[in-house]
Amino acid sequence: MRRAGAGVTLAVLVAAAVALPFWAGRAQPYYLQLALNILIFAVLALSWDLLARTGQLSLAHAAFFGLGAYASALLVTLAHVPIALGIAAGGLVAVIAATGLGLLTLRLRGIYFAIATLAFSETLRVIAKQMRFTGGSSGLIAPPLLGGSLPAQYLFILAILVAAVAVSWGINRSRWYFAFTAIRTNEEVAGAMGVDVVRFKVLAFAISAAFAGLAGGFYAHVFLFINPFEAFSIATSVGALVAPIFGGLYSTVGPLIGAAVLRVGEEILRTKFRSGYLIIYGLILAIVILYLPRGLVGLWASMRRRGRAS
Amino acid sequence: MVIFGVLRSGLYALTSVGLALSVGVIGVVNFAHGEFLMLGAYLGYWLFVSYGIDPLLAIPIGAAALFAIGGAVFRAGIQRVLRAPELNQMLLTFGISIFLQNLAIILWTGDPRTAAVSYKATAVPLGPLVVGLPQLVVFGLAMAFVLGLYLVLGRSRLGKAMRAVAQNRVGASLIGIEVDRIYLLTFGLACALAGVAGMMVTLQLSTSPFIGLLYTLKAFAIIVMAGLGNINGVIYASLVLGLSEAFVEFYVPQGGGWSEGVFFLLILVVLLVRPKGLFRS
Repeated sequence: MRRAGAGVTLAVLVAAAVALPFWAGRAQPYYLQLALNILIFAVLALSWDLLARTGQLSLAHAAFFGLGAYASALLVTLAHVPIALGIAAGGLVAVIAATGLGLLTLRLRGIYFAIATLAFSETLRVIAKQMRFTGGSSGLIAPPLLGGSLPAQYLFILAILVAAVAVSWGINRSRWYFAFTAIRTNEEVAGAMGVDVVRFKVLAFAISAAFAGLAGGFYAHVFLFINPFEAFSIATSVGALVAPIFGGLYSTVGPLIGAAVLRVGEEILRTKFRSGYLIIYGLILAIVILYLPRGLVGLWASMRRRGRAS
Repeated sequence: MVIFGVLRSGLYALTSVGLALSVGVIGVVNFAHGEFLMLGAYLGYWLFVSYGIDPLLAIPIGAAALFAIGGAVFRAGIQRVLRAPELNQMLLTFGISIFLQNLAIILWTGDPRTAAVSYKATAVPLGPLVVGLPQLVVFGLAMAFVLGLYLVLGRSRLGKAMRAVAQNRVGASLIGIEVDRIYLLTFGLACALAGVAGMMVTLQLSTSPFIGLLYTLKAFAIIVMAGLGNINGVIYASLVLGLSEAFVEFYVPQGGGWSEGVFFLLILVVLLVRPKGLFRS
């Protein structure tokens, strides 16, 4: 019964998401733009969570996002690759970089891993800023995806998100789930139990980076302009991490809810303060760590349990 | 070039020694360390602009204020996660860092502020070279603070208590050391040191809400080189960072931009090659 209920909810959600541009496309382009931003953010958040499931807390999601953006923009403008292919190539470049980084940082745990990934991301930013072919600090102009049609772009990123959700769902329902959880809980024990720790850690890195890279490539061809500060912004890494923690870690729903709530909240705050609205991320991070260790999803579950008990 | 590298390493040492202290004694890697430096820098700026107090004279005020702020932050948040997983601590301090940075943006806008101290552009001859007076003063003071800290740690009762807690929390509490009080004092002291470093940033350069993260990361690079929690290695590691930045600025074309990447590269390389740090404790 609950299964069927969840299936119906899911179908309704997907149908509503697909139908949104037809309703909002002409009358309310602002809401469609907001929805599109939420979707980009949700892809990033889910991608971060996929990696976190193996216990690797990355501060490098801006790196993969930026790599995807730059790779796609460069391929399309210089090699005249079709844009959709460029975005896919952006994902591929991110995967290659992530595999390398993942292999290098295998031995690093916890805080060391986080610092190393942050260093990686910032190093890329400096390179993008200093090199001539990346346009230096003034950045690059990227041609618009699908002729700049907002509803079509919306459906494009929706498709990427659906793919990410499918992958995340699949992982959490397969044997991988146990491998990831075992590695996160205790790497030595997982290894001793016969889990191929190296393979799963690098795999998680590659899958995670693929979606971050796709989101980055998409971003470049929708906002039409990238520079080192935006593409490799630490705000991207922070957002990618706060959303899943806020929504609820290690699940598919949590990062999505976190991303939606945060982006809408950010939008409201943005109208009040011209800058500094990221303060909400800091507050939420602190509050969640101190009081809500399982995020919004955990809060919802415990409220329901309490509701049923009374 | 060498002298520029050495001079800037003084400020680096002062910044990182506080972080090394909180890592070594409390075991908390504080991502908000640079934000406390940033608050110190703004305090120095406002005291100078509003009341005409020279940042050098304001150092005790800054140290006291940041000690209090740091203590409050510790009590309100960090103390609660001391026994939580390391990553929760990291995320909490990361949250505090984002919070403080954006608070500064809201309060004081993102524009950089420069305190026009009268002797800012004064240069003094140093042997065959000419160096800026503020740089020289900052280096001297920073080194004095760092060495002073070493003395405190080595000689005083408080310092001994801190080292005992760093070595073994349970053992220290068994011989009658109030561990929680030591933690509070250590964290306050670390923040006060960051605040003092911030005032020196005001004296020498300019301040903006964004400098915090930069100094946190540089301090990370240094304590990673020194080996996490190794306070003695901090001076050498600061020299390595200061000298390699100066080297890149002088010898690499467009070095000014590339030098921003030096410390990241150092972090990456050291973590990957020698995760225990370069220097013996």
